[in-house]
Amino acid sequence: MIELAYETSLLGAAALRRFFRVPGNWIWIPAFPLIQLIVFSQLFKDIVQLPGFGESSYLAYLAPGQIVFAVFFATSWSGSNLLMHMHTGFLDKLRVAPISRLSILYGELVPLFVECAVMGGIILAVSLLLGASIVTGAGGALVILLLGATFGVAWSGTSFLPALLTRNEQATGGLSLLFMPIAFMSTAFVPSALMPEWLQAFNQVNPISYVIEAMRATMTSGFDWPAIGRALLAVAAVGAVLQTATLWAFRRLATG
Amino acid sequence: MVATAGPAFAGAPSTQDAMVEVRDLVKIYRGGVRAVDAISFAVREGEFFGFLGPNGAGKTTTIRILATLLRQTSGSAFVAGLDVSTQGPEIRRRIGFAMQSVGLDNLSTGRENLEIIGRLYRMPGRELTRRMDELLQLVNLTDAAKKLVGTYSGGMKRRLDLATALLHRPVVLFLDEPTEGLDPQSRSALWDELRAIGRAGTTMFLTTHYMEEADRLCERVAIIDDGRIVVEGSPAELRRAIGSDLVELRLGADGPSALEERRLDVARLLEDFPPLTRLERVEGGVALYVTGGAEAIPEIVRRLDGNGVTIAALTMSHPTLDDVFLKYTGKRIRAEEANQPLVTWWPE
Repeated sequence: MIELAYETSLLGAAALRRFFRVPGNWIWIPAFPLIQLIVFSQLFKDIVQLPGFGESSYLAYLAPGQIVFAVFFATSWSGSNLLMHMHTGFLDKLRVAPISRLSILYGELVPLFVECAVMGGIILAVSLLLGASIVTGAGGALVILLLGATFGVAWSGTSFLPALLTRNEQATGGLSLLFMPIAFMSTAFVPSALMPEWLQAFNQVNPISYVIEAMRATMTSGFDWPAIGRALLAVAAVGAVLQTATLWAFRRLATG
Repeated sequence: MVATAGPAFAGAPSTQDAMVEVRDLVKIYRGGVRAVDAISFAVREGEFFGFLGPNGAGKTTTIRILATLLRQTSGSAFVAGLDVSTQGPEIRRRIGFAMQSVGLDNLSTGRENLEIIGRLYRMPGRELTRRMDELLQLVNLTDAAKKLVGTYSGGMKRRLDLATALLHRPVVLFLDEPTEGLDPQSRSALWDELRAIGRAGTTMFLTTHYMEEADRLCERVAIIDDGRIVVEGSPAELRRAIGSDLVELRLGADGPSALEERRLDVARLLEDFPPLTRLERVEGGVALYVTGGAEAIPEIVRRLDGNGVTIAALTMSHPTLDDVFLKYTGKRIRAEEANQPLVTWWPE
């Protein structure tokens, strides 16, 4: 166990170094959420006046959803990174090393937590610069980013899984894009109260909405522990399914 | 650790000093491809052993099973006396593996690549630093050590990969096509390094489809084709077993059709010449496989020269491993480099 933790920390540190060393990661991961944040907060500024919207600033309303978008982009390459290691032979070099082979997977998975928190932090910082505020202060900011990061690690299974099963770059990009429709149908842009009934029903089981709602409450009304608890439960459910499957697919590698 | 599901093996390896021992090894991939078909062989401690065969013969599959990267379908394999199906972690501590694809992290520097591998092998900091300096010097990468590996040339990557495989002083070094894709100069430099490592006592297991590489480096080779070992022995023994020398004749002729006629003349004039075992068309002339080449040459020259065939040049060489491969498998290792046999018109 200590061995696994040591090996994971070594490989994780190397993965972080790689991630932050690529300038494109700093540019392309925050770009899309930032554009949505800046443009939509101006374009749909008055949407908050709709009866039943229940917020006073659309910028503050948008920010949590865009943090989740940034978290998604930060993890959407995780499976491809594993594929890259497969193609360059680096994965095999690690597999012939006298280490726990699980540390190879965890060495990619654990650093995602930091990568997600940093990328989400960029969106949160820009939101604050644009005039949003967090009523719960620095503690609230931490809760928001930790929530985003745990969601990112859990969701990364949608990238790891097709990478491990198909070993194909295109297929890997495909499944993780499932995030897009699910996120657009979530409460990232419009509160559930303004949605048609079938979408309201869908959001009862949409984990992304639970994460966003907990973040939003923390930002605009205070620590809502039941909401945070529901969000963690949603993340745990996603993680249990996707990461169990990822682990199974990873073990399958050895039988060729 | 990935759970091992291989069958438990009863009994110890039979050859006590075997560093690698393989018995009836079979690998059938999902989808039914039988890549390795019941092969058996052993590599002695300290030996430089080569697996020679064309692409797709089963070389990489075998080496990956030995390096515990792949599980066999049946049969058994031992490395340093340890069973690959049940003692993977112990084997991994003792071996080094330089792969065909090289195994490097392109977004890290050369030194960072060595460092993470060294730390994963639990090398103490000071020893690791010393060993990294020593190996970077050996593979001539001291100056490039701080550059990202993604910026390296193919030869530099190979050399760094070799250094990562040597870092922990393995007792067996597995090399899968170690010079594939290198220019001749880098290749012969790498050969020198590999020879030096072998001389220092490391058991070397190499796969290659370059005859010359197997010939120059290996004390013993096994020729593998279509998942089976067709012949095994020292390169010199194998060449001797061929029994015939290669005599190449460049023929004087004006234009391709005249040249072809001269070739046919040669075949006709040598039709009842017992030392001749085989005839092939080569650029500018013919190649003759002749038993006792040196003694047969005067007779060959006498028969041809007096009958309208002009010999522009004559060279004689002893058989190569390429000829050995041809003899046992009926084909050349690399089709694109193979001479076209003139079997269509050679009287059987």
